[in-house]
Amino acid sequence: MNAPPLDARALGKRFRREWALRDCTLTIPKGAIVGLAGPNSAGKSTLLALAAGLLAPSEGSVAVLGRDPLREPSVLAEVGYVAQGAPLYRGFSVGETIELGRRTNSRWDDELVAHACSGASLATKVGALSAGERALLALALALGKRPRILLLDEPFAGLDPLAGREFLKLLMDGVAETSATVVIASHVIADIERVCDHIVLLAGGAVRLTGNVEELLESHRILMGPRRPLGPIRGVSEIVRERYSGRQATLLVKSDDVIRDPSWTVEHVALEELLLAYMAPERLPTPRPAERAALRWHG
Amino acid sequence: MAWVTWRQHRSQVIAMGALVATLAAAIVGTDLPIRAAYHRDTLSECLPPTSRAGCDIIVRHFLGQFDGWVTALRGLAVLPALVGIFIGAPLLARELEHGTHRFAWTQGVTRRRWLLSKTTLLAIATVATSALASALVMWWRSPFDTLDGRISPSGFDIEGVVVPAYALFALAVGVLAGLLFRRTVPAMTATLIVFVSTRLVVLAFLRPHFLAPLHRTAVASDTGRQAGDWILSDTLVDAAGRPITAGREDLAVLHAQQAGIDPHSYLVSVGWKRAISYQPAGRFWEFQLIEAGLFTALAVAIVLLAIWLIRRTPS
Repeated sequence: MNAPPLDARALGKRFRREWALRDCTLTIPKGAIVGLAGPNSAGKSTLLALAAGLLAPSEGSVAVLGRDPLREPSVLAEVGYVAQGAPLYRGFSVGETIELGRRTNSRWDDELVAHACSGASLATKVGALSAGERALLALALALGKRPRILLLDEPFAGLDPLAGREFLKLLMDGVAETSATVVIASHVIADIERVCDHIVLLAGGAVRLTGNVEELLESHRILMGPRRPLGPIRGVSEIVRERYSGRQATLLVKSDDVIRDPSWTVEHVALEELLLAYMAPERLPTPRPAERAALRWHG
Repeated sequence: MAWVTWRQHRSQVIAMGALVATLAAAIVGTDLPIRAAYHRDTLSECLPPTSRAGCDIIVRHFLGQFDGWVTALRGLAVLPALVGIFIGAPLLARELEHGTHRFAWTQGVTRRRWLLSKTTLLAIATVATSALASALVMWWRSPFDTLDGRISPSGFDIEGVVVPAYALFALAVGVLAGLLFRRTVPAMTATLIVFVSTRLVVLAFLRPHFLAPLHRTAVASDTGRQAGDWILSDTLVDAAGRPITAGREDLAVLHAQQAGIDPHSYLVSVGWKRAISYQPAGRFWEFQLIEAGLFTALAVAIVLLAIWLIRRTPS
């Protein structure tokens, strides 16, 4: 049972001629709360649907808790998945929806669900719930499975700040209770920043950045100084982004040592800025587009 | 899964039951005058195999009297299609259309088991209600079956064990159509088209040959006719048994007229007769079992295909 909660190897998914996800290799450590970040249509939902066994990979493989979710769908009993928009049966009442979860899951935990749904009336129809209440119900059902991994696809979309906070509270309580690994896909970095200790950044169907949030923030710096031809800077292993305004240069760099050059003002970087820098297509650490075109024949 | 299936499909199952209840009311209501006429002495003395002089008029009168109702009852042949359209087609199409399959298929029940349980339970409900409907129809039609037989399509298609088999087939087609079209209305339309065309193909091309048809010849009135044979073809042949074309028939009539003979007695005098091929009334249950087996086998094959396909269905 030491298999990583989620392990993708060269995973790719193509819809007709478009690759939604390509050459995605990543391992999510046990117990992590992972923010799956990236712009719209970056492949976040595709990755989660592949992990939930809803899609079949076009290439590569994905293992959830060490098992292939398509070939061994029994693993889904231990996976909590909330799809985008928290789809539930609108004609069911809250109580009936919970009953459905109880009847279709062997690992069901009534107490967790009761705790999560304490505020709601069981007789209310799901169709009459607000988006926030529905998201809470969907999360409660996912937690009721006592999942070992919880996959949430854009859970905060359409929630007002108050509902978002309630959702987070329920999520954190549930995670404390079940010690599940969590993957939250969101295009809003602020949402991710609030809870996640790991980041996987997807853009254009490829993994751009992955790692522990603290380590990432610690290993990146912003350098500001007069504009000049750039040579190697001591303590900088890679320049992620360069920006110039007038005679001022602002660099976002990956550093492996203390930057001592006094002509640079060194500052810490915020998560949002770091992710945006890695997302920005104009200045990528690796020349991906050329490689993708060449690989297309193998599809 | 039983609870889930019942909760999700109870309105459809209740509607199916209500439909059969309505049918039962209509059947019982219209049956009273039929039974009254049927049990009148004049007719009961004429029931096959007895055949007395003057019976023909009584039997013809009885059949003619209720002909409109018998014709109307043939409309029940569409009922099995409704099962496919309103229960089978939405089963998967609605889930896929509303995205709720992302919820349903990520629970602890694998989607293959999910589909198998749902289809099996709904199939049981379908068989139960359609068998009941079929029994009601058989009871209502029993006077007509006795007098006029039931192997010809007007009776065959709405009686016996084929009715549940048709309903099962429609259900299976609906389920597969829902999986392939992923949208409810196209799936319903496809179900109707496939159901009707399969039924017609079997009726027109397969059923007449389930067993080798029998043949007989007749001159004027078909004296060999047993009540309730299913006449497949009735051809005019010459004395040597060769079929007569329309051109040859016209020519013969012309000859007779030129010779000043009555054309009809002329045709009989040269030995022309009717060659009739038919399926005898006594083969009703054999044919029922063959046809029901065929449609049930198709239904099972289609459901298995859907269960096989659903694992690879992109969602």
